[in-house]
Amino acid sequence: MTTTCRREAAESPSESSGTSTPPPAPERGTGAAERSRKRRGWALLIVAAIVISAVAAGIGRGQVIKSEGAGSLFDFFAAAASPRLDAEFLALTGTAMLTTLAYAVLGTALSLVIGLIGGVLSSQAWWASGVRSRRGRRLAGWGLARAVLVVPRGIHEVVWGLFFLVVFGIDPIVAVLAIGIPFGAVTAKVFSELLDETGRKPYTALLAAGSSKWSAMLYGLLPPALPDLISYGFYRFECAIRSAAILGLVGAGGLGFQLALSFQTLRYPEIWTLLFALILLSVAADYWSSLVRSARARGRRRSRDGGGVRRDPLLTASLVFGAVLIALSAWWVGLDIAVLWSGKAWEFGIQLLSEAWPPSVGGTGVSGLLMLAGVTLAMSIVAITIAFGLGALFAVPASTPAQGRDHVERGAVARIARTAAMLASRFVLVVLRAIPPPVWALLLLFVMYPGILPGAIALAVYTTGVLGRLMAESVDNLDARPLRAIRATGASASKVFCYGVIPAAAPRFVAYGLYRWEVTIRETVVVGVVGAGGLGLLLDHQIGSFNYAGALTTLATLILLTLVVDVTSAAIRRSVR
Amino acid sequence: MSSPIFALSGVGVRYGKNTALAGVDLTVEPGERVAIIGPSGAGKSTLIGVLNGTIAATSGEVTALGCDYRRASAREIRKSQRRVGTIHQRFDLVEQLRTVHNVNAGRLGSWPFWKAALSLLLPRDVQRVQAALDRVGIGDKLHHRTGDLSGGEQQRVAIARVLVQDPVMILADEPVASIDPARGREIMSLLLELSAEVGVTLLACLHDVEMALGSFERVVGLRAGQIAFDKKRADLTDDEVDALYAFERATEPR
Repeated sequence: MTTTCRREAAESPSESSGTSTPPPAPERGTGAAERSRKRRGWALLIVAAIVISAVAAGIGRGQVIKSEGAGSLFDFFAAAASPRLDAEFLALTGTAMLTTLAYAVLGTALSLVIGLIGGVLSSQAWWASGVRSRRGRRLAGWGLARAVLVVPRGIHEVVWGLFFLVVFGIDPIVAVLAIGIPFGAVTAKVFSELLDETGRKPYTALLAAGSSKWSAMLYGLLPPALPDLISYGFYRFECAIRSAAILGLVGAGGLGFQLALSFQTLRYPEIWTLLFALILLSVAADYWSSLVRSARARGRRRSRDGGGVRRDPLLTASLVFGAVLIALSAWWVGLDIAVLWSGKAWEFGIQLLSEAWPPSVGGTGVSGLLMLAGVTLAMSIVAITIAFGLGALFAVPASTPAQGRDHVERGAVARIARTAAMLASRFVLVVLRAIPPPVWALLLLFVMYPGILPGAIALAVYTTGVLGRLMAESVDNLDARPLRAIRATGASASKVFCYGVIPAAAPRFVAYGLYRWEVTIRETVVVGVVGAGGLGLLLDHQIGSFNYAGALTTLATLILLTLVVDVTSAAIRRSVR
Repeated sequence: MSSPIFALSGVGVRYGKNTALAGVDLTVEPGERVAIIGPSGAGKSTLIGVLNGTIAATSGEVTALGCDYRRASAREIRKSQRRVGTIHQRFDLVEQLRTVHNVNAGRLGSWPFWKAALSLLLPRDVQRVQAALDRVGIGDKLHHRTGDLSGGEQQRVAIARVLVQDPVMILADEPVASIDPARGREIMSLLLELSAEVGVTLLACLHDVEMALGSFERVVGLRAGQIAFDKKRADLTDDEVDALYAFERATEPR
């Protein structure tokens, strides 16, 4: 049971640090009491945080809803039925779609390269091998590799994008680097955990036989871990599509850029054409990625059951197709990596950094900065609370109704209704997450006054889409045996749900919720950019007014805030497990 | 002693191309104690699933406690399932729940939904749960998280769950295969004791042939989804038992 959990955690987008540590030995007596006391403490703290955040976000205060905007919102949704479909605009949309796709593909490719190298360098296996006497040096090396990865992971793609826009101007390399660097750092962390979970015996045997570290790695450790890395890469690709669209909003081109233009001129039919294109792209990427990942999960189950390791044709085909896609993408956007070492870019970069150093607090002052940090935190907490509730609500109908498969009861009508509910809720979830948070925020600003509440709701809507799916997958992955055992006592489906599904799934739901909270605090930047307040808005103003010294301070505050959230979330997750 | 508890005739179960059971005829009378033995993959667990109504037979007739599984409504099936308690190899408890809830899960078939849901917050019928836990020897574990218990203790929780279910028939699918041998013998004798005490019928799948031959009056040999023999313990010869497993050895290295 424990092994399955950890395996799934590695497969899922969990970036938790806990996956590589062995589960604590079962505690009895006082240990259990201690744990439940701790859990109660956390629960109390969480409730308090939610209430304070809701108050801070302005829930219950007037002047939130802009009633005169309801008309435009209605017009907006009415336009969904008549998107602009003339040949000229369709061609434009198609081109933009390909550009977004190409950015996502190239960004993912870069992130995989970074992830592979960074993952090996930050794995314990890499530093643990070698002569015993140099223990201190090895620990330092491992710590350094991990530390180097923390900063790029803490900075959101959009912030990277804004930075590279200043350095390179409008160039395809901006989007590729902005996606590739933070995604690469995350991938490196996940991959290092995968490597450390893989059995190390073949690797040490090769080392003992006198092979070098890299070749021992290549033969002993990478082959079993690689399929997992690839399947994780596909998950990242899905995320990269959304990131590429958001990057477009800040000026990197593609669908997002066109969306921003159409939003400025309020041409609703155009917006809808572009949104449909984005949803289409997202759904296709989702589908491909889930195909690959479920094939991988099947393969792992087979090898666990002693069926041996087999090459998965789907994985191989996807890999070949991916390689072709990378080449085509580079050609389509006209990627020229020579700009990386062009003198001008370096000059800009160095100039920017020298202007940013030393960082300054600027006009807001320390208290103002702290205030904004608090507001940002409140926005993330309100967002994740809403998303958690809605996600859990959608997750149950969206899960595969496989639990009835080998079961005697359930009539045809009930089965069809269940399948229809599954398809409908999956569709809702996919649409919610296909549209990036800043677009949701722009829509909400029709009917709400700017502030952190529309930002929080925008993040919540998008996060519901992501969280609902992760939760549905975790319901799918529940151990079916206890459920069957309860059903064998003659319990009805709703009782099986209360006694079997909820208690088993709840800890995972909480873990996913916390993981998404870590992501959401980073994404507050994205809605900040469109005016929803918090540190993101400040950062956008500072970069816009060339106040790089102030921007650096804001960025540092933001990274510190994400670190606080990461540590808190990890602590809560430990007590839940 | 009029109608049999279980009557299977010509029962087959297929998973896609794989045949798990084929042409199984089996009748179990009230008060009998039956052991099912056979090599792994013979279809023992599938047979248990067919009997407790969690696996649908793809062919043949299944009647349990007078209820025809193929024709009865879901409600009727649940009604008869309620009277059949099952103990599983991997205990199949919800590890996140406290022991009291896992034991009470045995009552779900007879409780209305509101009571089941309420009990998760305020445990109902705690005395009955306590009595069952006392009977299986872990009375002090009422409020422990089930996942924190040892394997032997978890299997006792599973038995307590069956006890509160108050069944007329107990099915046990490799009840001791996941526990160390000493604990396993304790659990097995507990099961036999209980079935004698309350007079319930017991049907157990066992990998351990010694245990099966030592404690059960009737032994059924299952091989490749078919019944190889179905005899009184006294009439069974060692050769027949050996043949059951010898066949496996001959065909195994494929």
